Amino acid sequence: MTMTMNRRGFLQGAAGLTFFIGSGGISSVRSEAAAGTLDVNHWLTIRADGTVQIVHPSTEMGQSSYSTLPQILAEELDAAWNDVEIEQLNADDRRYGNKLFGGVLYTAGSTGTQFYFDPMRKAGAQARDVLLQIAAREWGVDKASLRTEPSVVLGPDGQQGSYGELAALGLTDVTVPDVETVPLKDSSAFRIIGQDLPRRDVPAKSTGQAEYAIDVDVPNMAYAAVLRAPVEEEVPLSINDVAAREVPGVIDIVTVPDGVAVVAESLWSALGARGLLEVEWSTTSPFRTSNSEQTLAEYAAAVSSPDASGATWAEKGDAPAAIGNADRQFSQVYLSDYAYHAQIEPMAAVADVDADGQGAEVWAGTQTQSWTARTVSEVLGIPVENVRLNMMTMGGGFGRRTALMQNYVRDAVLCSKAVGRPVKVIWPREDDVKQGTFRPAAAQKLEAGLTADGKLDGWYHKVATPTVIGFFNPLRWDAVNPNDVISMRGAESKFYGIKDFRADHLIMDRHARLAPYRGIGASYTAFAAECFMDELAEQAGRDPLEFRLDLVSENPRGRHLLEKVAEMSDWHNRGDRNLGLSFAGYSSSMAAGVAEVEVDAESGEIRITNFWAAIDAGLIVTPDNALNQIEGGIVFGISMALSEKIDIENGEVVQSNFWDYEITRASQMPEIEIYVAEVNAPPVGVGEVGTPMVPAAIANAFYAAQGKRLRHMPFTPDRVTAALET
Amino acid sequence: MIKFELNGRPVEVDNPPDEMLLLVLRDSLKLKGTKYGCGAAMCGACTVHVDGVASFACQMSVSDVEYAQVTTIEGLSEDGSHPVQRAWIEEQVAQCGYCQSGQIMRAAALLADNPSPTREEIVDEMSSNLCRCGTYNRIFKAIERAAKEV
Repeated sequence: MTMTMNRRGFLQGAAGLTFFIGSGGISSVRSEAAAGTLDVNHWLTIRADGTVQIVHPSTEMGQSSYSTLPQILAEELDAAWNDVEIEQLNADDRRYGNKLFGGVLYTAGSTGTQFYFDPMRKAGAQARDVLLQIAAREWGVDKASLRTEPSVVLGPDGQQGSYGELAALGLTDVTVPDVETVPLKDSSAFRIIGQDLPRRDVPAKSTGQAEYAIDVDVPNMAYAAVLRAPVEEEVPLSINDVAAREVPGVIDIVTVPDGVAVVAESLWSALGARGLLEVEWSTTSPFRTSNSEQTLAEYAAAVSSPDASGATWAEKGDAPAAIGNADRQFSQVYLSDYAYHAQIEPMAAVADVDADGQGAEVWAGTQTQSWTARTVSEVLGIPVENVRLNMMTMGGGFGRRTALMQNYVRDAVLCSKAVGRPVKVIWPREDDVKQGTFRPAAAQKLEAGLTADGKLDGWYHKVATPTVIGFFNPLRWDAVNPNDVISMRGAESKFYGIKDFRADHLIMDRHARLAPYRGIGASYTAFAAECFMDELAEQAGRDPLEFRLDLVSENPRGRHLLEKVAEMSDWHNRGDRNLGLSFAGYSSSMAAGVAEVEVDAESGEIRITNFWAAIDAGLIVTPDNALNQIEGGIVFGISMALSEKIDIENGEVVQSNFWDYEITRASQMPEIEIYVAEVNAPPVGVGEVGTPMVPAAIANAFYAAQGKRLRHMPFTPDRVTAALET
Repeated sequence: MIKFELNGRPVEVDNPPDEMLLLVLRDSLKLKGTKYGCGAAMCGACTVHVDGVASFACQMSVSDVEYAQVTTIEGLSEDGSHPVQRAWIEEQVAQCGYCQSGQIMRAAALLADNPSPTREEIVDEMSSNLCRCGTYNRIFKAIERAAKEV
């Protein structure tokens, strides 16, 4: 399987070029002429047989960075894509860390292509230049007289050298070009970027051959199921495991910090025995009093207080003064509940702790190599270098697999250490829901002023929600407090030019486990902001599109998207079609969307029949995959808008599986039409841009249909019927 | 011992008769293409064919398939050349891919039963399988493509 190919083993027998580029460019060039092997840089290896091996520094959860990132390097190398083999990176923050995340190996926030685009282009360009120099030397010609076709250097007099042949000839008299000055291709010369090369992982994913962490099978492996504390912070006080130990196949019962694990010869035995455990849990956790309805009421009260303010997230001009002096003032409160990731692969990991306890091999699918290795290192008290990680492709991530402490990896490590065998831990679906880490509940208040002629005059967005970073990565929170991008993203409304603007974070007490979730803060801040924008337009007596166009005069790319989506949806001739508009995005990627809905007033069900989206995410490396990601993001947005809701009662998660936590099914799919702008700008990511605009587009379309506002997400049938009765 | 036919070959297992078929396939018979998603008949990641009928392997015990013919994604074709699999690749359906074995098995059973389904029939049949990445529209297109080839 390619994903876990061992780089070292491969290098030992290989002849060819390996490049080592340090942070300041290529720092060392090593030649092992005797073996016919040349090492130059850490991003790629060119073997004598012509194979080009390229590192994938992110982790793959469906977004296709496994194909996209190596394509960026292959483009500048001018390699034939069929010659490329992809190597999954398992460690090495220093050389490969994502600087958008402080230099750790971390795959989230739609940053993979955004961050790795430059370094991987440059690495490819450097390697190509080296190959040209080798050819020039061998053929005794000027380098400037050479050109490349995919995986081959061509000389002025018909000379031809394949990359593999040239790589085997060594680096004598070759100077590796400086990383900052190496020439890069003009985009008009691209042969890979912007083309629709098929994804590398799709064939294996269409034949059952892709290997996820839950599929890992190593010799002598045991299985573990963990009975976990029903409420956060509770611990097992006493355990009666007599009956559980009698179940055939049970190896041991292992106490973990917040649960009791059954380790057995099969998962079936482990699950059966787990059901026989009798555990007395502590009852002193402060989370015992956590109730989601009360939590939301608490947040709503805080944000609704007349003098509410919080840590400033974004500010321009003087919003409170502008609103106070405006011709008219408006405000509105919006609510959103906890939401669960619902990735279809449950959490699973395999750990094999060394007999001396000083090292471990681990197989896991997570969004961060760095923090997964750190988890193992912390649990065993060993140096992180002693952790041998195998990053597996993930059955969905959506933020679920990002935490500083990966609890299911921890469980696998503790169980393996206890029984002296490799152990696979699987959290069944119910465990994953009950032990979920959620998008936080939030209450938001929007305040704005209008001029006499119906234009926006001041905007103040207050978000009452806990810090997410403070829970899922406390080390990071120490560094960024009080700026929590996970809780607040989107509230900056950066695609609009609003003269007097302010967004505050009212940092509330946490009453549940939290995590980033697709779209992070923008999944609810854009809901509130774009619903409010529609309400303001109505107050101003203006068309929602025209009202927004006032605010994008200095954002022509954004203006283009709004106009485009209006054209796609035939907005101006909507007649009695129920259309709702929204303009949001994620980070620097912009999205304008229009939803068309039908409402069954009897049942309270909203059906989205069409969704049009216009997207600007900068340069698109892989257009077909971008469409797939954006469409998936829209579907995710529909799902969270209509049905996704976690309730907590007395500290326990009420929901347990897909029957009571419903996500969008095939029968709920609208027709989706997506336009992606072609722009000359750096790539800024497509993984999340589709999601944040969706709930407001639906709520605004619902208003067009029924004349009622939906201000509490999700728009469940009971909330819809309640809104219709007001 | 429980005997059944798996991907065209006879197999015998000595697992507990009540053990979930899905776990027997995955952990005892080492066919990992069939996935565990919910264990509750809610997501369809474990969809296999039992005597040609798309079935949730998480809802059957191994004794339920005694003497039956069971087909998993590994047995759908030797080399990924089943029309549904080819269509899945052509349409580049998969994102994370975790649900796709189940989707493909359900689609293959649908087409075996109804070689030219309407869009409505496709949507109806595929609504028992969840895809969190949201690839449903590509799934529909892939099934329509495969239907043309069958």
